[in-house]
Parts: sequence; C-alpha cells; structure tokens
Amino acid sequence: MAKSEKPTEGIDFEKALAELEGIVKQLEAGNLALDKSLALFERGVQLARACKEKLAEAELKVSQLVKDKQGLFAEEPFEEAKG
Amino acid sequence: MAGALDPLNPGPLESTSGRRVLTVSRVNALVAGMLGEYFSDVWIEGEVSNFKAYPSGHLYFALKDEGSQLQAVCFRHSAQRLKFELEDGLAVIGHGRLEVYQPSGKYQIILDAIEPKGLGALQQAFEQLKRKLEKEGLFAPERKRPLPLLPRTLGVVTSPSGAAIHDMLRTLRLHKAKVRVLLYPAQVQGEGAAAQIAEGIAVLCARLEVDVIIVGRGGGSIEDLWPFNEEVVARAICCSRVPVISGVGHETDFTIADFVADVRAATPTAAAQLVAKPWEELETRLRDIAGQLLEAAEQVLFEKQQVVEELVRHRVFDLMAARLSELHHRAERLAGRAEAVARSALADATAALSALDLRLNRQSPVARVLRQKVAIQALSDRMDKPVLSFLSRQNVRLGQAGAGLDALSPLASLDRGYSICLKPDGSVVSRVGQVKAGEGVRLKVSDGAIGCRVERTGDN
Repeated sequence: MAKSEKPTEGIDFEKALAELEGIVKQLEAGNLALDKSLALFERGVQLARACKEKLAEAELKVSQLVKDKQGLFAEEPFEEAKG
Repeated sequence: MAGALDPLNPGPLESTSGRRVLTVSRVNALVAGMLGEYFSDVWIEGEVSNFKAYPSGHLYFALKDEGSQLQAVCFRHSAQRLKFELEDGLAVIGHGRLEVYQPSGKYQIILDAIEPKGLGALQQAFEQLKRKLEKEGLFAPERKRPLPLLPRTLGVVTSPSGAAIHDMLRTLRLHKAKVRVLLYPAQVQGEGAAAQIAEGIAVLCARLEVDVIIVGRGGGSIEDLWPFNEEVVARAICCSRVPVISGVGHETDFTIADFVADVRAATPTAAAQLVAKPWEELETRLRDIAGQLLEAAEQVLFEKQQVVEELVRHRVFDLMAARLSELHHRAERLAGRAEAVARSALADATAALSALDLRLNRQSPVARVLRQKVAIQALSDRMDKPVLSFLSRQNVRLGQAGAGLDALSPLASLDRGYSICLKPDGSVVSRVGQVKAGEGVRLKVSDGAIGCRVERTGDN
C-alpha cells in the first residue's frame, strides 16, 4: 500500500472514527460499483489500523506542576507515594 | 476548697493531720449527687457533632458551640420519639438532666427530648452561599458544559499525598485511559486550602493542552471538606475555560463545588471513570467498526457474487456450455483422427521412400548401363565367332549367287529396254483394266522413272 495515499499521520481519533462509520454506512447501503467499494474498504482498513496503532502506542503520563522561584510553573514527573 | 464541701456532706476527719481526705469514688458520688440535684431539668442548645447511632438504638453525640462542647446521650425510648434525623452540624435545643458517669468521672447530659433549632453555623454558611450562587444562575443546567469526547490532557487539583490522586490514577490505568495527567498539588483541607484549590483550577485551565479538570479529595468530616464549600473555589470552577468535574468525599457528601461543577462525580474514583470511559469506549468502538467494515465488505462481495452467479446460471450459458463441450469433443475426435492419419501417412511415406530408394538404386542408369555393357559383351562374345564365320561363308555364297541373280533380276531386263508400269500406289500394272484414262502412272526404267498419263485403254 502506497504510504502517501491519504494522510493517517497525526490522526484524530474522532475524525477517523467518524470517517470509518461513514464508510461502513456507504458500504452497507450498497449500490456501489465494486471498485468503489473496494477503494472504500481499503481506506477503512487503513484508518482502523492507524487508530489501533495510535491507541496502542499511547500511554498514561503523569506529571505535576511545581512553582519555581520566579513564581512560574514547571512540569515535573509525578511519583506516586506508595502504600 | 475542702471547706466548700463541708456543709453539704462532710467526709471523715483524718486523725493524724486533721485534714479531710476524700476518695475518688466519694468525690464522684458527691458531684453526681450535686449535679443530679441542680441540673435535673435543663434546656440546652448547641450544634450536633460526632453523631453516632448505635445498633442498640441509643444515640451518642456532642453538643457544641463556638467555645465548648458537652457529651450527650439520647436513650432508645427517647430517641424513638424524635421526629427528625439527627446529624452533624445540626443546631438543636434539647431537654434533659446532667449525669456523672462515675466509673470514668465524666459527665454528660441525658436528653429526653430534642428539637432542631435553625441550622448549624457551617450548614448555615453552606445554605447561604448555595442560595446566593443559585440566584446568580451558577448551578443552571444550561451552564453545564459537556465533557470532551476524548480527553487528552487531564488537569487534577488535589493533594499529591491523598487517597484521591491514588484512586484516580489507579482508575485511569484500570480503564486504559491514555491521557496525560497534569497534577496541581494543593492542600485540600484546613486554612488556605480553598485559595490553593482555586489557584490550581486557574493555573490548569490557562494551559491550552488541558481539556478537562478534576477537583476533589477523599472522604472526611464536614470540616475537612469545607474548602470545597467556599466561594473562591466555586468562582474558580465557574471561570474555568474547560469543563470541571468535582469528586469530593463520598457519595453522600454534597459540596458547593459539586453544584457549580459541570459534572458532579460521587467520588474521585467516579470522576476518573468519567474521563477514562471514552477511552474504553474508543477501543470497543474501534473494534466494532472494524468488524462492521469487514462485514459490509463481505456483504458487498457476496452481492456482486450473487449477480455473477445468477448470470452464470442463465440458460444461455448452459446451452453455450453444452455446445462448447460438443465442439470440444468433436475437436478432440478430429484431432485424434488427424493424428492417426498423419501417423499412417508418415509411415507410408517412410516405407515408400525406402522402397523408392531401393528401386531407385536398382534402376539407376549407371547400373543398367553396366549390366547391359556386360550383356552386350557376352552377346558379342557369343556372336562374334559364328557370325564372322557365317558372314565369310555367306560372302562366298553371295559372290557365287550374284552372277545368277543378275540374270534373273527385272533390273537386268530394264537394262535390256524393258520397263515396268507402276500405279501411284506402287502396284505393277500388268492388265489394261488396272488403269483408267487420265490416270497418272510411272514407268520404271533402268536408270530411273518416267511420269506418264494414260490416254486411252484398249486391246493393242
């Protein structure tokens, strides 16, 4: 698959899911030429895969804001107190 | 001091020093008697605190005001007559008597009747602020903002060491929420807590990446939760750029922050669940849609296949197929025959060729010439001798016969002046009747022939 076909980089989950749902609806409605259907399907698979990968690589990050001497806030990693 | 006891109930005089020394029990018994006598019918007002209802039905609590507190008991038979539920912070007026519990030397008031008196000071403040903010429209449902569909950066205002942050992070991990958590560490009880909480909200919502904020803390007394009932916190929540979720104390605790927040969660854990839920849903939604996508694509293919199959099943194709198979068979048969013919023709040709070769060899002119040469040689060998002898004998005879022959030859007669009349066809004319007048004849003479025409015929 050509990488530069349509941008899935920096994907917005909501937009991607909305597009995916649109694709499913179009496919379900039928009345499409086979090659158009296949093109839609391919785009759908691309989106679904991109979302899944994005979701897999995302993780929970926790930091806290700490005020410095100038009264500005700096981000520091937050270590949870055990127990 | 000792003197004051004297007139009421003097103890025994100590013999050695002349002092009156009382036992603990004696003192408590004396006090119990005095209190019972002077405080047997008392009306008292105060705020209920540390309220506890025991399974026995007895109620234990403290009555307090700004400066002091007094332990109170309402035994079951009196408690059953109460027309309302006692709770902390409630201002009440009660009736009863004072009693000293002699084993511990503590005294308490035994209440036989209790009635509510307005509200407690904190409750009063709470109700006042609530009324004021409600009047301003800060609790209005239309002010409530929906939570982001998928929170990316969660601002949290709470204590960095409390149970609340621990519960929230545990919940977020449990539900696989892939958010970035930005904690504003704030004191959540006591003096100055409200100001810190308000600042935290302001600082977090000023950061553009934050798209939702949770303010909260774990459970505690009404005094512990109090900062969340203060106006400065309520105002900060109202001014927040992003939706604020409140998660303060337990389910039964309601604070002003809860009323102002865009969403009130019963506990910090519940607040974190609200943020985590879309992430969890995202995963299932993605899975569902991927499934639907496959199903839809399969359906499309199935339908197209149906169309093709329907076409294929058309009678025309059956006929064509039959015709094709017939043609196919015919072609095969023909091909088989052609092959057989070709094979035999080839065999024939090969045979013929070798036969020809043989014949050709046999009939080669060279061989024939050679053969005939041999035959001629043989013949000539065979013939030479007899022929030569015959010839020489004949020559002799020929010479002898020649003389006799000459005498007998017509040719000799011609020499002697005789001629022979010949018809054009070469026949000899020897009778008159053989020719007709005008007919051409030839007269053969000794040295040639004379062409003549018959003038007439007759006897001499």
